[in-house]
Amino acid sequence: MNIKGGLKEIYQNPSLPSFLILVGMITVNAILQPTFFTYRVFKLNFLTFTPLILVSIAQAIIIIVGGIDLSIGASISLLTVLMASIMGDSFSSIILTLVCAFGLALLISLFNGFFISYIEAPPLLVTYATWIILFGIALFIKPTPGGYIPKHFYQAYRGDVLHIIPVPVLILIIALLIWSVISKLRIYKHIYAVGGNAEAARASGINVSLTKLKAFLLSGIFVALAAVCVVSQTATGDARCGLGYTLNSVAASIIGGISFSGGKGSVAGAMMGGLILGLLINVLYFANITSFYQEFMKGLIIVVSLAIGMIPKLRGERSTV
Amino acid sequence: MPGSNAILSKIFLKNVLSNRLFVAIVAVFLLFAFGEIIFPGFMSFTHIMSVLRLSVFLGIVALGQSLVVISGGIDLSVGSLLSLGVVISAYFLRGENINIPETLVIVPLIGFAIGLISGVGISYVGIPPLIMTLAMASVIEGISLIFTKGFPSGNAPPLLETIGSGKIFNFPYLILLWGVIITIVTLILKRTKWGYILYGVGANSLTAELSGISAKRFRMYIYGFCGAISAFAGLLLLSYTGTPYLNLGAPYIMPSIAAVVIGGVSLAGGSGDYLGVATGCIFLTTLTSILVALQTTEAVRQIVYGSLILILVVTHARRGRE
Repeated sequence: MNIKGGLKEIYQNPSLPSFLILVGMITVNAILQPTFFTYRVFKLNFLTFTPLILVSIAQAIIIIVGGIDLSIGASISLLTVLMASIMGDSFSSIILTLVCAFGLALLISLFNGFFISYIEAPPLLVTYATWIILFGIALFIKPTPGGYIPKHFYQAYRGDVLHIIPVPVLILIIALLIWSVISKLRIYKHIYAVGGNAEAARASGINVSLTKLKAFLLSGIFVALAAVCVVSQTATGDARCGLGYTLNSVAASIIGGISFSGGKGSVAGAMMGGLILGLLINVLYFANITSFYQEFMKGLIIVVSLAIGMIPKLRGERSTV
Repeated sequence: MPGSNAILSKIFLKNVLSNRLFVAIVAVFLLFAFGEIIFPGFMSFTHIMSVLRLSVFLGIVALGQSLVVISGGIDLSVGSLLSLGVVISAYFLRGENINIPETLVIVPLIGFAIGLISGVGISYVGIPPLIMTLAMASVIEGISLIFTKGFPSGNAPPLLETIGSGKIFNFPYLILLWGVIITIVTLILKRTKWGYILYGVGANSLTAELSGISAKRFRMYIYGFCGAISAFAGLLLLSYTGTPYLNLGAPYIMPSIAAVVIGGVSLAGGSGDYLGVATGCIFLTTLTSILVALQTTEAVRQIVYGSLILILVVTHARRGRE
């Protein structure tokens, strides 16, 4: 392959803008925080970034298949509240809690997936309703933050593996591995096909409803993983903790190049988007921008990156959301 | 003949029951009856009026939302525009009646300008409405914060407070205002060229293009109008509360969409009317007030409200495909 062809391939990669933005973000971060490249800061950053990145993966899967999930933040709330309520010190209690958490996450996915795939109600409204319901349940269980997470559990999250890989980073690596396994399976192609053009997918024999349902289940795994990270980081159950994650996951997906008409974009891009968003929040903090400006800046960055991202793409794509 | 009478009444019943407006009105009535059973006096004239008055704010927000949805889009920034409307109105009014005319011009104008930004992003850059308005919501919220520096100042002048909380012949002014708005809007939607074009643009039909209107430009302006209407709703809300608070608009975003769905407007665009939406607003507001009066915890309110929205969405999803 000649150099020109190779360069052109890189130039046309949909994740390229995200990658460039990522490099830019890292640079700005490093400038504002001289200790950025130290191990301690690296680990601290990933303690916070990892849930966001995982949630971005979860959202990206749903968007790629042609929907959207507004209930992700509320799922995080409910799952963390649940874990903080039932987890005890013993090993068996921890395992049981984790099993329950993953089970609940899959149940929520089934719930959403059922109404969206089989009843064919609009994903926006279904997941909005689910959001409200889950948030209500979380509030019901824990009206005020509380609960208990055993010290050895959350210390594990804050630890290192082999002294050079922080546990959060390990979790991300595992997530990537899980996804690369999935990408070899048939469901991967189906998800992209259904997201790109559901009718064409159906015509070529793909069970569209089942595919969407499976997409929600897959997404649920990553939501559960994110919830475990969040509850380890905060060591408490707070019904309101999840609220920011929904919008952030959508924003991260946008930044990561996921197209809202479905069928395009990569989970790797979404991960980059999550990382960029995390770094952005860091930048806003270190640049001493008051909290007043932070929401504004976040929104502005999203709008700008949207505009930049949309221009080369085909206009007139109707969003399926 | 007995046979055809039975058939005729079956047809009549089917047509009446499938009329969404009728169902919505009956639902509101049932809700009020339910409230009366639990709280004697719930269905008293004064209380019905006060609930109706509360519905007006959602009603105005849902108006803007209806226009956008009929045109084929969606607007998640209506809440933050309302919040902005509240604080900007308070700032310009400063409690003086003299400032009312200028505020009446400035506030919707600012809302219109911001809405246009969304419209440009959606129509010309091609950003999906959901995303654009979602992002704009954060930006607008930020603008509110920056504008007020966290401490909203000013307050509503006496004249506006009278309109907001006052009554004439026991009918709150706001309800009368809303009645007028509903009438005007319905007339515009159903009887004028603009209404016809709106439905055409929403349905992506050829007639819209053939009548020489640029669909893109039209949709862009609709977002502008929605912005103006939402900001105006903020002004109205300020008339009711008197003093400004931050983030008053957040509870209106999703109910405005729910009301639109209840009211029979298709999320795909091109159909629906405002009267059903207005009824939907009354229904949702009544429901909330019952839940609050029952002193349910926020948790229970959320679960009930969420389940209701889910049921509504599901039933409308099935109907929409008939």
